[in-house]
Amino acid sequence: MATVTPRAALTRLAGPRVRLFERETHLGYLLLIPALLLLLVFVAYPFFFGIWLSLSNSQIGQNGHFIGLGNFQFERSDTVFIGAFMNTVSYTAITTVFKLGLGMIMALLLNQVFPAQRFVRAALLLPWIIPSVLSTLAWRWMFDPTFSVVNWVVIHSHFSATGVDWLGKTTSALAALMIVNVWRGTPFYGIAFLAGLQTIPVDLYEAARVDGASRLQQFRVITLPMLRPVLLVVLLLSTILTFADFTLPYVLTNGAPFNSTQVLSTWAFQTGVNGGYIGIGASISLVLFPLLTVIVAGVMLTLRRPE
Amino acid sequence: MAESEVEPGKAPREAGFTGTPEAWRITDPRWSRRDFLRTSSLAAAGLAAGPLLAACGGSGSSTAASPAPAGAIPKPRPGAKIQLLQWNSFVPAADEEIRRQAKAFSDANNVEVTIQTVTGDQLQPKTAAAVEAGSGPDIIQMQYGWPHLYDTACLDVGDVVAILKDKLGAINQVNDAFCKVNGKYLAVPYAQVPNAWTYRTDLWQQAGFTSFFKTWDELAADGKQLKSKNLPPIAVSLGHAYGDAITMWYPVLWDFGGREVSSDGKHVTISSKETESALKWAIDTWKNGYISQNTLSWLDPDNNQAYHSGLITATLNGASIYIKEVYTTATNHKFAAVSDNADQAKSATSAATLNLIFNHAVMKWTQEADTAKAFILYLMDQANYTSWLNASVGYNGGPFKALSTADIFQKDTKLKPFLDVIGQGRWPGWPAQPSKATAQSQVQFVIVDMFAKAVTSGDAKGAIADAEQKLKRIYELPS
Repeated sequence: MATVTPRAALTRLAGPRVRLFERETHLGYLLLIPALLLLLVFVAYPFFFGIWLSLSNSQIGQNGHFIGLGNFQFERSDTVFIGAFMNTVSYTAITTVFKLGLGMIMALLLNQVFPAQRFVRAALLLPWIIPSVLSTLAWRWMFDPTFSVVNWVVIHSHFSATGVDWLGKTTSALAALMIVNVWRGTPFYGIAFLAGLQTIPVDLYEAARVDGASRLQQFRVITLPMLRPVLLVVLLLSTILTFADFTLPYVLTNGAPFNSTQVLSTWAFQTGVNGGYIGIGASISLVLFPLLTVIVAGVMLTLRRPE
Repeated sequence: MAESEVEPGKAPREAGFTGTPEAWRITDPRWSRRDFLRTSSLAAAGLAAGPLLAACGGSGSSTAASPAPAGAIPKPRPGAKIQLLQWNSFVPAADEEIRRQAKAFSDANNVEVTIQTVTGDQLQPKTAAAVEAGSGPDIIQMQYGWPHLYDTACLDVGDVVAILKDKLGAINQVNDAFCKVNGKYLAVPYAQVPNAWTYRTDLWQQAGFTSFFKTWDELAADGKQLKSKNLPPIAVSLGHAYGDAITMWYPVLWDFGGREVSSDGKHVTISSKETESALKWAIDTWKNGYISQNTLSWLDPDNNQAYHSGLITATLNGASIYIKEVYTTATNHKFAAVSDNADQAKSATSAATLNLIFNHAVMKWTQEADTAKAFILYLMDQANYTSWLNASVGYNGGPFKALSTADIFQKDTKLKPFLDVIGQGRWPGWPAQPSKATAQSQVQFVIVDMFAKAVTSGDAKGAIADAEQKLKRIYELPS
């Protein structure tokens, strides 16, 4: 009768398991499972649930049924929705241009050597660090027509006798939203660009200077191309975040005066959560999805393009 | 079959779906995604829990109490834990009193009642999230017409209301209308936050007035006088303030005879010469600076802040401004001696008020319905309720006849206007009964925006046309 030593038995038992882990592909998939599960639960499920809601006539607390593009068709004729769409696009486009420009200037300045450099760098990040609700409330008080510090300056500088009702006029209210967004978002651009600037080898600038390149030429030929990956990623993230910005418009104006500062996120919230028509609300918030997809695809393709 | 209804078993597009609001009828008897998830997860949980409970010697049944038989007074179950979600009152002492009562109830009945408070504008998102998730607090403080919005999540509390009606008498019509959904009480009437005018008597005297305005025309005349004497203005919100803006502009509309919808709630009636009169009054008053022109973005705290800063002469509000000046030790109570209150303005034919309304709903997901109902009965006990009314120093009013007053209103006669306006309260959408559509119109600020648009453009007809278009979309959606 054949005898099996304990060691041989152990080897035989462990064999398939060891072989499984020796194959990198299997191990790779195995290690991916936790991350995939997290993505499924926290990204994929809410996303597909949102799409389902937008295609259904669900109300808060009531399951709806599939109605195709009914919600989108219904919203198409809503003047407030159209206004919110236009506001969202202009809010994103205008603030992005300003944040990009100011962020670049901020990064170039912070990249210089000057006294208290670290303190200034940290201080300039404050708008981005402070919780949005708090900073927006502070701005709300600064824009208040009756006791605003901004108006105090305007009146005492003799620019106007009565000050400006910043949040009470349709044009200035939207401008106020943009000003606060630029104030809050510029440090993000500035710090990201600064990180990018610091990875550019100094030799390149020295060589350019030896060749007689001006500051502007150095910026155009060295800085901008070397910053391209950072610039595109920051632009992409900022565009998505600004399109979906909710806290700032909600706290600063909540759509007033008469819906002139309504953006898609606040209108979706008002209709879907406060009004109870969550299907319509989901369709309002998803309407930018195709546009954002195109933007993301464009940036990703540009990033992959060889220099 | 209507063109837009979806035939069972047929794809919506095949069934001729056109995307019209008619398609909003929820008639599909088939299984939904949530039914599937709920049933499958319950089945899985049951399968998993069965052996575990058996191993622990359990039977698998819930520890929750079975509901009390019909007609019986609900009794708390010893060991039960319940949670009540409500707003942070503008009068913190009122919340402290509720917490004290919750503790007393808990100690006396061996239960645990937790009071969770959130800011006023966070209460609805929290409620909506709980309703959508099908779990959360056992009792939710429902403001305005929320029982109509969240009807599928609220338990029938007709038994509690019947007990309270027997003990405390008739229900105020606004609380009744908000609580009763399709003939069933889905919430227990709880309170009103009456709105009246708070004003500075010193400035009023400086302007040469001997009494406060009683009509809308007198308001305009008094505002004109204040302006001519270069005194701070009368100010009311024209922004998206969920309390102050609607409590001002709905009564103006009603007192001039305007209505947003017919009494059956089916036909939008905003386009009328009465609405135009209301808008013309608002345009004249605002354009001439008889009321402040700086309020188009005001939210609920802004008029409080302006009053305490001495920047306005009068404003329409709950009693919180007066209470802060007179009853608290806040550093800015510098107008305590010169603050008074007055009734809401009216027209020759109508005296309407819109007050902030609170009611308590027991949620369907609760495992402790009887304990929740017993706690509500405890809060509504006349002695407890009066104690809460006194703690809130006139900020709240009672919804039942026997709770319609409290010592504080006798002690401080300046608070009487707040008591007076409770009886004349109406609700957004009046004379139609509250519904999902009236609630939708309210949260979209259609009426307030109509006034705001009219005063800034000077075009009453244009503002009405804009409001009519919005209201038609809302009232076309089924409720």
